[in-house]
Amino acid sequence: MRTGVIGLILPSTFSFLEMMWRICPALAVGCTVVALVPPASPTPLLLAQLAGELGPFPGIVNVISGPASLGPVLASQPGVQKVAFCGALEEGRALRRALAGEGAELGLVLGAEALLLLSDAADVDSAVEGVVDAAWSDRSPGGLRLLVQESVWEEAMRRLQARMERLRSGRGLDGAVDMGARGTAARELAQRYVREAQSQGAQVFQAGDVPLDSPFYPPTLVSDLPPASPCAQAEVPWPVVVASPFRTAKEALALANGTPRGGSASVWSERLGQALELGYGLRAGTVWINSHGLRDPAVPTGGCKESGSSWHGGPDGLYEYLRPSGTPTRLSYLSKDLNYDTFGLAVPSTLPAGPETGPTPAPPYGLFVGGRFQAPGARSSRPIQDAVGNLHGYVAEGGAKDIRGAVEAAHQAASGWAGQSPAARTALLWALAAALERRESALASRLERQGVELKAAKAEVELSVRRLRAWGAQAQAQGQTLQVAGLRGPVLRLREPLGVLAIVCPDERPLLAFVSLLAPALAHGNTVVMVPSGACPLLALEVCQDMATLFPAGLVNVVTGDRDHLTRCLALHQDVQALWYFGSAQGSQFVEWASAGNLKPVWVSRGLPRAWEQEAEGAGPELGLRAARTKALWLPMGD
Amino acid sequence: MKTYNVFEEQDWISKIQVNHPAVLRRAEQIQARRPVKKEWQAAWLLKAVTFIDLTTLSGDDTSSNIQRLCYKAKYPIREDLLKALNMHDKGITTAAVCVYPARVCDAVKALKAVGCNIPVASVATGFPAGQTHLKTRLEEIRLAVEDGATEIDIVINRTLVLTGQWEALYGEIRQFRKACGEAHLKTILATGELGSLTNVYKASMIAMMAGSDFIKTSTGKETVNATFPVAIVMLRAIRDFFWKTGNKIGFKPAGGIRSAKDSLAWLSLVKEELGDEWLKPELFRIGASTLLSDIERQIYHHVTGRYAAYHDLPMS
Repeated sequence: MRTGVIGLILPSTFSFLEMMWRICPALAVGCTVVALVPPASPTPLLLAQLAGELGPFPGIVNVISGPASLGPVLASQPGVQKVAFCGALEEGRALRRALAGEGAELGLVLGAEALLLLSDAADVDSAVEGVVDAAWSDRSPGGLRLLVQESVWEEAMRRLQARMERLRSGRGLDGAVDMGARGTAARELAQRYVREAQSQGAQVFQAGDVPLDSPFYPPTLVSDLPPASPCAQAEVPWPVVVASPFRTAKEALALANGTPRGGSASVWSERLGQALELGYGLRAGTVWINSHGLRDPAVPTGGCKESGSSWHGGPDGLYEYLRPSGTPTRLSYLSKDLNYDTFGLAVPSTLPAGPETGPTPAPPYGLFVGGRFQAPGARSSRPIQDAVGNLHGYVAEGGAKDIRGAVEAAHQAASGWAGQSPAARTALLWALAAALERRESALASRLERQGVELKAAKAEVELSVRRLRAWGAQAQAQGQTLQVAGLRGPVLRLREPLGVLAIVCPDERPLLAFVSLLAPALAHGNTVVMVPSGACPLLALEVCQDMATLFPAGLVNVVTGDRDHLTRCLALHQDVQALWYFGSAQGSQFVEWASAGNLKPVWVSRGLPRAWEQEAEGAGPELGLRAARTKALWLPMGD
Repeated sequence: MKTYNVFEEQDWISKIQVNHPAVLRRAEQIQARRPVKKEWQAAWLLKAVTFIDLTTLSGDDTSSNIQRLCYKAKYPIREDLLKALNMHDKGITTAAVCVYPARVCDAVKALKAVGCNIPVASVATGFPAGQTHLKTRLEEIRLAVEDGATEIDIVINRTLVLTGQWEALYGEIRQFRKACGEAHLKTILATGELGSLTNVYKASMIAMMAGSDFIKTSTGKETVNATFPVAIVMLRAIRDFFWKTGNKIGFKPAGGIRSAKDSLAWLSLVKEELGDEWLKPELFRIGASTLLSDIERQIYHHVTGRYAAYHDLPMS
């Protein structure tokens, strides 16, 4: 069902198309829009005029012209369910921090840099045309990083420079020009970048002579920039192209994926196998093969890593403005006295349990990291009590070092797991389901000790087994071909694993919630680091005993301990690709605030309980959508 | 003319890749992006006239229509229109006249009668299909040169291209070159029958290495004649050849160019890809017959502001 009121915040330079691509899908699914636009641009005022003419439906599009500082004010209005922002990285980060705890969900699309990968099997002249489309035309969103294979470096540079001589800069509305001007701010940014690049040792080539005081910035090619220099790490502004050589395809992927940005990229190679290998290997939201800059409303456009995880176009673009039926309206749960610096920093000390009565309890469980049970770094454990207050067992007290080890183990297993065929993933999940079935009596008796009735406990175990099987079967659905008008050739919407997914389980339903969250994450090819229920992590650790024998090492890592402390470590970790948090309201707010570090997509419960036994909330399509990310792969055909 | 050892170049040639959809996109862009208007359009159209090889290649050619053609070649635009543009004394004629070998004598006589020294180009080597014996093809060239043709348009053997026999193709074109002697050689690649853009590039390269003065897109008799994507590939080949050897080879699109607007797009294409140095009759020609009348009508419109009927302007 539709989300509700959408707030749209636009940056100081944006194109009409970008604005409409966000407003139209929102309206199409039934949401209403409030757009905050910078005061200097006239286009949104035209939109406001058109909106005013919608007689029977006043108020579905509203336009406010104001400074960017009004963004958080807009977002904190009661009733605003989602805020969509596109613009610069730092502004996006600041907005993420400012909106932690507010009712509105935040969708970010940041940065405008693209990547072009030119291999030696490419049609170099056509790739040069691709560079022109990507960086030196009015349609290009930003600058370009160009990676050229060393064997064609000389040729490519020569052709690029010859082509640059033919580009014409002029007033944007004159049909015969290639590039217009984008305002003084953009010009100054480009100038600063080029000056710094030169001071760091780069060669700069600019076509034509443009007088210093003209508003046009000439097309610029920067080469020989040392990879470790600050300019090579920063985002490339328009209309600059930074070219670097690479030796092999493997090196190309390492260079291309070695930045925090992951927006769009193109691969130029006439060898099908090589082109697809590079296309699948690039971590970007959109990959074009032997073309650049193709757009279509039916194809999702978005990014990954620090380019934000919000989409427009295609099915993903519509899902942005929808939420599962029956979900209540999001309200602000902001707690103003939450201190981000001290939340979860210190682990509160637990009193030792009373004198042990009854039969000798089992030795403390370790942490399940890297496929086996290990002792925690802090060398301490915490007692777990059952429903009547007796001692149920001891679990390890995990800390920051253990989280670090768990995330590393998960990364080591990630490429192998992502490379597994869907059938192999299904087989493993079904094997785990069978193992749980065999362990039913042990699990049911533990649940009973936590105060659950025997019949309900058995039902819970059975439901967990069923969920594992169901998600296992869904591992098959991985990608689809989209219908695109105006292109000869397929466009694939691939669903790729996020990478390492961190999940903090809720206190209630220690077994069911654990399995319901684990299964979709694994089925979509992720490796996980889980913090099980704080009230009774023993059930999760029982499941780990089976996973130790069935799963490859590092696929699932379970770390027990103080939930707030572990959440802090995971939320601040720069190498965790996504975080799901089902804990307290304060914890949710902290997670949202801390995710601004590497802009990881987060899913928080805001402290509200969730009905895990119901299909809609416990095993609905929302889980599948959040467990993977999309990549659009364009394959124009023709010979 | 420097000769090339084809065996050395074979390796570099086999690595050539041309991406069809990308070239199509560039072709669309060129047509949309460089429009010319008003007096500049009139100037460009007059320049286009000087590039035309006025052609008649029909089975029913006789000396009377050849005479008419040659007269039109000397006076392509009506005198009063040129006077209105103040261009009547600049010696605007078409670049050449193109006819079948049997009509070369008639063309030479007609041009002498009019007092025009533009070259007569003859098609040869089994035009348009080229499916005759090598001996007769060479003899055709010699006879045409004897009759007074100073430019020869030959067709390549498409069989050799489609079977990948690049060395044999090179050998044949070198023989044609020798048979031409002092005459200027244009090699028609018949791109509509070559199968892929990569083949077009390779054939262009071989033709240039074997000593052609011009490479030409098509005979005008195929189903697909001169199109922008094919032209882009050929122009890139010319530029690459120039970078490698320093020799400038000319380009001629032929067939399917009927409107003045098209001709302007062709001029823009050559200007964008190769630069202004190629925009002269020694390096660029357009093979056309009805194009001239359309250009004349556009100039009529520019001068008078009215649209002409076909009978207002002299026939060619």
